[in-house]
This record gives sequence, C-alpha cells and structure tokens, in this order.
Amino acid sequence: MQLDFTQDDEAFRVSAREWLLANAPRKRGPLDGQSARAFAQAWLSQCHKDGWSGIGWPKEYGGRGLPTEKIILWYEEYVRARAPSVLDCTFVSLNHAGPTLIACGTDEQKAYHLRRILVGDSIWCQGFSEPGSGSDLASLTTTGLVDGDHLVVNGQKIWTSYADIADFQELLIRTEPGSKRHKGLSWVICDMKSEGITVRPIKNMAGATHFAQVFYDNVRIPLSNVVGMLHDGWRVAMTTLGFERKTAAMGLQLELSIKIEDLIALAECPPGSAIGKQLAELRAEAAALRAMTYRTLFKDPVTASDGSLMRLYFAELSQRIHRAAMDILGADALTDSTWTHDYLESYSETIAGGTAEIQRNIIAERILGLPREQPA
Amino acid sequence: MTCDMNYNEDQRQILDAANALLNTSYPLSRLQEEKPDDLTALAEFGAFALALPEERGGTGFTIVEEALVHGLLGRHLISSRALANPIAARLAARLGRHEIAEQVAAGTLSVCAAVPADDSLLLIDGAKATLGVVFGGRQVILIALEELPREGVPGLGHSVVLSRVRGPLSMIGECTDSSLLDTSDLLVTAQLLGIAEASRDMAVSYAKVREQFGRSIGSFQAIKHHCANMSVDAEALSALLDMAAIAVRDERGDAAFQVAALRLLAPRVAFANVRTCIQIHGGIGFSAEADAHHYLKQVHVLRQLLSGNTMLDLPAPLAPYTSINERN
Ligand SMILES: Cc1cc2nc3c(=O)[nH]c(=O)nc-3n(C[C@H](O)[C@H](O)[C@H](O)COP(=O)(O)OP(=O)(O)OC[C@H]3O[C@@H](n4cnc5c(N)ncnc54)[C@H](O)[C@@H]3O)c2cc1C
Repeated sequence: MQLDFTQDDEAFRVSAREWLLANAPRKRGPLDGQSARAFAQAWLSQCHKDGWSGIGWPKEYGGRGLPTEKIILWYEEYVRARAPSVLDCTFVSLNHAGPTLIACGTDEQKAYHLRRILVGDSIWCQGFSEPGSGSDLASLTTTGLVDGDHLVVNGQKIWTSYADIADFQELLIRTEPGSKRHKGLSWVICDMKSEGITVRPIKNMAGATHFAQVFYDNVRIPLSNVVGMLHDGWRVAMTTLGFERKTAAMGLQLELSIKIEDLIALAECPPGSAIGKQLAELRAEAAALRAMTYRTLFKDPVTASDGSLMRLYFAELSQRIHRAAMDILGADALTDSTWTHDYLESYSETIAGGTAEIQRNIIAERILGLPREQPA
Repeated sequence: MTCDMNYNEDQRQILDAANALLNTSYPLSRLQEEKPDDLTALAEFGAFALALPEERGGTGFTIVEEALVHGLLGRHLISSRALANPIAARLAARLGRHEIAEQVAAGTLSVCAAVPADDSLLLIDGAKATLGVVFGGRQVILIALEELPREGVPGLGHSVVLSRVRGPLSMIGECTDSSLLDTSDLLVTAQLLGIAEASRDMAVSYAKVREQFGRSIGSFQAIKHHCANMSVDAEALSALLDMAAIAVRDERGDAAFQVAALRLLAPRVAFANVRTCIQIHGGIGFSAEADAHHYLKQVHVLRQLLSGNTMLDLPAPLAPYTSINERN
C-alpha cells in the first residue's frame, strides 16, 4: 500500500490548478432551465478547448486516457478552485451516457455522440425511474414494441433530471412483450425532440425545477438507437450504474471536504463549544470520506456494492454537514442563500440514485451475505 | 385530588371542534396556492381568546386546552401569526395595554412573529401585520409595525414568506419574565409536536399504500422501524408536553424545568420525524408536489421562536437527596 504521486503527477496537479484558477467561473451558475444549460455548456466547452473535458475517457474517443491518479488530482484541484458543481446537466452525458456508449455502443453511435458530449453540444438525461418503479426499477412498464425498423414507445418516466433541457435520453424500456423483471428490457437512445414526447417539469422542495415527468405517446425510435443487444438492456443499465457509483461521484465527495472548511470559517466558533465539537467530528468524517474515495479508486476489483458503502456514507455526511450549517446560520436559516438552498437539496442525497434503505439492503445482502428480505 | 393524564370531556370537545374547523377552513391542500393564511375563521372560533382571562372576554379554558389547540394548528401548518397572536395578547395585557390585548385576541389586529437577524428584523409572514412580536432568546418584545417600510426577502426554499425591517423600532414594551417565555415555548412546542405527529401519520399512511417489489413498502423492516421510531419519539414528546402544560397551568415548581426539556426535545423530534417522512416518500417526498416539505420549513420557522436553553440551570423535580450524596 502506498500513496506516492510521481513528479509527473505533481506537475499535472500544478497545471490543473493554474488552469482552473485562471478559467473557472467565480460565480455559481443558474439552478435550472435554459440558462443553467447555457452556463454548463459554456463551461464544458471551455474545458474542452483546453483539453480538460473527459480526461479519463480513452484517447480514441477524444479523451486524454489519464490514469486514476491524475483524475483524482484533477478533481481535488477542481473543488479547491470552486469550479462549477459536477452535478450539473452535463453529469449524465459525461458520466453515464458517454461511458455506456464507449462500453456497449455501436461504431455509428460512438461516432455520432461521443464528441458532441465532450464538447458540451449535447445534453443527456436518464429515463429509468417510473411512477410505479423507483427502488424496484426492474418492475418498469414503459414499453417499446418493434414495428419494422423502429420501436414504438408508450408509457411514462418520472424524476428525470434535466429532461426539460436535454437533447437525448438514456431510456430503459420493456421491449419484449410479456417479459418479467430484468429480462426483456432495452437501453435506447431517445431523441428528446421526437414527436409524441411531453415533458412536465416538477419543482423540488428547494424551489428549483430540475427534474420532470416525461410522457411517451407512440414515440418512434429507430432500432439503430438500441445500445447493446435488444432485450439486453438491464446489463447495459448496470454498466451505467457501476460508473455512477465509482468515478462519477468523486467530484461530489471531495467537494464535501471544501464545504466543511467553509462551514468552520462561517461558524467562527471557539474549539471547545458544542458546535465546535460537532464541526470537529464532521471534519474527521470528511477526511474519512476522502480516504474511502481513494481506497475505492485504487482498489481492484471494485464492485457496485463497494460503491454502496461510499455512496451511503457520503449521502448521510452531506446531510449532516448541511444540517450543521442551518444551526450555525441562526435566523438567517430562514432566508434563501447558497447554504439554505444546498441544505434543502441535500435531502435528495438519500433518495436519488438508490435510497439509503436500498443501499443498506445491498450492503447487508451482497457484501455481508445476509438473507434477502423479499423474493427477487 | 387524583392523577389523570386523560383528556376530559371539555378537552375532547374543544379538540373535536377545532379539528372540524381546521379540516374545513384550513386543509393542507391550501398550501399549494401559496397565499397567506386568513386567520379570521380561527379568531371567530375563539382560538385566540384562549389567551385572555374570562373577565376580559376569554373563554375560560386554560393553557392546557390552548396547547392542545396549538398542536392542531401545528398539524395544519397554520401561519406563525397564530402563535405571535396569543403571545402579543399576553404581553399587551402584562403591559396594561388591555385595549391592544382585546383587539389582538378578537383577531382585529394582525400580529406577526419576528426574529432578530444582525442589524435588522425578519418578519415571518408579516407583510400586512400591524404588530410584531420579536422572539429574541430570553425576551419577547411587542412592536408597532404600521409605518415601518418592509423589504421582501426570499425565504428558505422560496416558500417561507419573509420581509425585513430596519432602523429604530417603535416598541410597545418588552418582557423577560420566565413565565411568559415558558407559555410561549409551550405553545411553540405544541405546534412542533403537531408537526411531529402529522409527519408520522403521513409517512405511515404512505407506507401502507405505496408498493415496490410487489408489496407495500411498510412491510420492509427498514420502513417499519422508521415508522416505529417516529412513533416512539412523538409519544415521548406528547407525554412531556401534557405534563409541562399541567405544570404551567397549576404554577407548579417544576414548570420551568418541564418546559426546558420540551424546548430541547421538540425541535429534535420534529426534525427527525419530518426528515423520515420525506425519506419514506422517496422522490415525491423531495418534490414540491407532496406536502412533506412544508412541514420541514415550518419546523425551521418554529425553532427560531423558542427561547434559550436553560436545561442545566434548573433543579430537576426528581433528584437524589443531597444527604445521600454526601454520605457516599
Ligand atoms: C433529485 C432526484 C433526481 C433524480 N434523478 C433521476 C434521473 O435523472 N433519472 C431517473 O431515472 N431517476 C431519477 N431519480 C429517481 C430516483 O432514482 C428514485 O427516486 C429512487 O430510486 C427511489 O424511488 P421512488 O422515488 O419511487 O421511491 P420508492 O421506491 O417508492 O421508495 C419509497 C420508500 O420506500 C423505501 N423502500 C423501497 N423498497 C424498499 C426495500 N426493499 N427495503 C427497504 N425500503 C424500501 C425507500 O427507501 C423509500 O424510503 C431522481 C430522484 C431524485 C430525488
């Protein structure tokens, strides 16, 4: 076990720092809508211009093929420079759609989409969850029936982040009539401008509108948009979720180390006080989260269940840090601010992308080998 | 005298009547309209006259019944003006300003809650209020708001309605007397209890109907235990509230101690229950389309109205005899 960055790594760190400090927007971007899209696109295109987009993607697809050491250094510098949150509307394209296409897409799909993603030209969303299928994703019922060289899609998705401003959607649908659970699903590329799609934006509890319900009424999608094999979508979807749980969250996790330092500065409290003790504990936990991030990244092999340990620790720590902020703010906790907004947003951490209860089930059943509570 | 922790007939009646009124005039669905609550129906019901002695137009009920009613007001997420009102009435009466007290209790003068923030005051849902009660730690202050210019301030999650006032305040009077602060805290914590219970109920109903993996989510132990935890905490808080209300009504020696315990527990329990309620609802709980988030924001508001922590400054009603301590 060792944690030695090479001279080359250190030189990389310095170049990343200098570029970020010179280029990262100082102000937070807009929260939702077209202005959020424009802001995220401008930032990604700027990153791309100077070679900072998709640094971990293979070179043949326009990335830099950098090793994990350099990626982690990039994100450490990224959060220290307070560059825009990685969880903006480019998150799905850069961290799910792109890597999924690289792993399972056809040459045509790769040729068309990957460059557009890296440059920031196309924004993607993820259409997995449905009103009746959240934690139980495999029960989904939106259907796609083969009609000639097309699929005809009917049904609805919900909680689709950025559906209102996305160009494409990773859409998981039931394509084999009468199939059950994980079988008979397909992962398809859906053009959000297709006829028959209606998007109903939904406001969240923080007052922002970045998720939506999406209705499909006889939407025709070419069969050439299926990624992986027809009816083999579950396997493709699991590739994507694996990405999400490993590298994609790195920027978010490291960002908590910055937030806790900001909070300590905000509190200006004597070390012995009650809040001082709480902040000390949170700082220690943020240090542990960073260590977990390093371990998961440099461990081989890493499974999706390892990701669950980190994801759960992250989610609950993030919520604790934001709750502490509300205590520190006093009466200002009643006003709208970056802290109070992020506090309300933090409620989603234990829901989105697999709830805390589901993560605990995964840890108990898949890592610890405890018996399952419900039949599969 | 005997001991009896059950509601008597009068108490049950007032609870039923208040509940009926709240269900018809203040259903939770009204919150989607984002309009300030009109408190006229509550005033006509006599909810605010509970604060006055009978000889001045009061109803003859005590703080125990008033706390029960405030539990329901919390449940229905009635504007914090309904809390500022009885505190203003009591404060005015203490200051000898009975004309103000009576108008406030009748609901003809509108009062809002206010909290100090740096060099200004934040008025909560007080755009049209003529009086304000400043909840400032171990003191409450009654102020006249009429002429003060107000500046709208975006509130927490864009749903807490706030305005800011600055400059010299026109003070009607203030009070640092623990008995008024205890009364105020009792009503605030009663509302917090109402929210803790309502969020438990909302979560439990949802856990019964929402199905995943072919069965109701309430059948999963994780959800069951969440619900059980919410229930235990709410029960403990509710028992403490009743005991504290009796102690305050009867001016017992342990009243301040019981209220101090409430001040600590009520926000903690309310926060925990509301958080769990949101969590049990999954995605819809995080959206603004379910009502759970309104509970959360109201807990943040109510918490600001509590006076300071005194838990370790007060003698406990049940403590070891000092003589035995000395012997050891
Ligand atoms: C901010 C946000 C953004 C999102 N973005 C997207 C997106 O872009 N694309 C997308 O497809 N989805 C998205 N989602 C949806 C998200 O993945 C789901 O909300 C999540 O999987 C939970 O599903 P649900 O909301 O239906 O809750 P449910 O599954 O109904 O869960 C309700 C409660 O039951 C519990 N529960 C369910 N099953 C079990 C069990 N077996 N054991 C114990 N407890 C259980 C849950 O933990 C939860 O507390 C987003 C959600 C949020 C909040």
